[in-house]
Amino acid sequence: MSAVIAEGTQTVNMLTAIKQALFEEMEREPGMVCIGEDIGILGGAFGVTEGLQDRFGAERVIDAPISEALIVGAAVGMSMRGRPVMAEMQFIDFISCGFDQIVNNAATMHYRTAGKVSLPMVIRGPSGGYGGGGPYHSQQNEAWFAHSPGLRVVCPSTPSDAYGLLKTCLRDNNPCIFYEVKELYRKREIEEQIPGGDYTVPLGKARIAREGSDLTFVTYGNMVYFCLEAAVKLAEEGIEAEIIDLRSLVPLDDEAILNSIKKTNRVIAVNEAPMTCGFAGEILARVNEYAFEYLDAPPARVTRTDTPVPWVKPLELAVLPSVDDIYEAAKRAVNY
Amino acid sequence: MNSKRSVVANAGDKGTDTEQRPLRARDGLSEQDHLEILKQLYLARYFDVRLIKEKRRGRLRGTLYSSHNQEAILVGTLYGLRPSDWISPIHRDMPAFFLKDLRGNWDNDDRMGMSIGEVCAQVWGRATAPGRARDNWSHIGDASKGIICSTSMLAGTIPVAAGVVYDAKLKGEDTVCLTYNGEGSTSQGVFHEAINFAAIHKLAVVTIIENNQWAYGTPLELGSPVEDVADRAKGYDIPGLIADGQDVLDVLDKTMWAVERGRAGKGPSLIECKTFRAYGHGDHDDDRAAKYRGADEVEKGRSRDPIAVFKKYLVEKGILTKAEAKKYSPEGKHANETTDEDFPPDVVDIMKKGVEFALDSPLPEASEATKWVFAEPRR
Repeated sequence: MSAVIAEGTQTVNMLTAIKQALFEEMEREPGMVCIGEDIGILGGAFGVTEGLQDRFGAERVIDAPISEALIVGAAVGMSMRGRPVMAEMQFIDFISCGFDQIVNNAATMHYRTAGKVSLPMVIRGPSGGYGGGGPYHSQQNEAWFAHSPGLRVVCPSTPSDAYGLLKTCLRDNNPCIFYEVKELYRKREIEEQIPGGDYTVPLGKARIAREGSDLTFVTYGNMVYFCLEAAVKLAEEGIEAEIIDLRSLVPLDDEAILNSIKKTNRVIAVNEAPMTCGFAGEILARVNEYAFEYLDAPPARVTRTDTPVPWVKPLELAVLPSVDDIYEAAKRAVNY
Repeated sequence: MNSKRSVVANAGDKGTDTEQRPLRARDGLSEQDHLEILKQLYLARYFDVRLIKEKRRGRLRGTLYSSHNQEAILVGTLYGLRPSDWISPIHRDMPAFFLKDLRGNWDNDDRMGMSIGEVCAQVWGRATAPGRARDNWSHIGDASKGIICSTSMLAGTIPVAAGVVYDAKLKGEDTVCLTYNGEGSTSQGVFHEAINFAAIHKLAVVTIIENNQWAYGTPLELGSPVEDVADRAKGYDIPGLIADGQDVLDVLDKTMWAVERGRAGKGPSLIECKTFRAYGHGDHDDDRAAKYRGADEVEKGRSRDPIAVFKKYLVEKGILTKAEAKKYSPEGKHANETTDEDFPPDVVDIMKKGVEFALDSPLPEASEATKWVFAEPRR
């Protein structure tokens, strides 16, 4: 296996980890194809696929026209014949243009054919706010797809997880929506060494990002770091927060959530997406169903306000969750 | 109101292609082929007629989208395909599932098309249906037989067809994929996205447009600024052919020209088959359709029954005598007016066996309802 980008002991950022996983899987699966806007000649808007076309050729790394429905539909056609496909959405916001092909076609194919047709395809793209992207370059729209049975929905927060989960999803046999938080792509502080060997991360297995005994944050993606910051503040006051980084939303690690609540008896669900019908709401609904008797405080959520993401900084920060929002929610739970 | 519309009678051979079209698939047909094509037209009609009657008796769930008067398009497009070619039929194309790879292959259930029994099992919602009746009527597919499963979202199979052919091309195969669409589908964005991509990569995707003049309750002129939807091909620099959808051999000739062109690596084509929808959009719409479409329009639109057109040709060619041509005559009749005597006995018989297979099959168990949401990992 070629370690083309990072050598064994080198620490890498999340973007490089994702790139490395793509190169390795393209090498490993001579049939695998990548398709997306500007992924070939340019190497992707963020450079995730830089060098991929030079290495594997234009037939396997397709520069698609600006046609998300075509990109997804063609991925369905290729993968239904057994060919693994990575389809890139230039920004995950643009996935709405391919929505029908995803939720009505790809998501339901295995079901509709009573298990005869499987689709080994991953749709991945950069997501999330805090970068001044405005309404169409800032979304975390994972709830749309978690609500469409038949799709894996994944959102890693560390380079190793991004690497290991992308590999797992590319080797899975189901359509997967893979969220890459673009604010984390090049974040220095989270650079790390990717475990050697053929490292993969299982779907449906959460990671405990911080251990604690007083309350549980259930979150994923960029919010993991917001919760970590809030936890530092809380620890100064002697409050120890546990942080569950879900990593994959579908399938969901209910057991990890339950076990943590049994220990802490308090839970705050945090997502960057809007509140109504967001994934934090789903977590709280489940907590009410299976962990109600362990709770010492009302379960709460911290989310974006139910507004679009505005462009300029004061407006953007006003609607997105902040460390303070999370800290205050935690304090309310602890003081209940 | 419908002055702009050229109903079938005016279907000309204009289109946008400027390439030579010497290939006439009909010239390669034997006498036996001609008789087989006629038999397939009878079969497609009988299947539809039988289901219309079953539906009226309340024996079937869901909606029947009749292919009556449009059978020449299905038989003509499918007859010359190779078994390894792919198709993506939509709601009005139920017979396509068993017409694929049917030529001389009526008793072979392992052929690269579905058996009539399987298709009947689908219509009756049985566990022996290709998708175990998880979606209704035409929403069936079988990747092992080269049939793409459609959804209700029109034109949505064309990008999938592009992917199928792209995959085949990478494997060095010269597979062609026919996608079926109504003229209404040409207004969908994905129609253009997919044909655009197929044209860029010269993929052998042949888009068949069954222009039956009505997209549910909306006439062509309210759905398309061009009278001939074949003209939409111009924007992609691909051939846009017009076929007489009532003439099975015209459809065959034009399809096979486009198919062989695609196979040779020259890219996609669009074939507009001019026809007319015999009844309502679906059986639920029959009564209302009688109000939004004038009786004279319907009479004119149905005046060239594809079975009659082909029989006339066979008599002129000397393949059938006038007496033989008259023997089985469902043409021009409303489904309710036809009887089994209007069809050849072997056609009636194969459908009868298909229906029996369906009725002998169990309904799926309720316990299946939550299965197959996800596939097992590949490894």
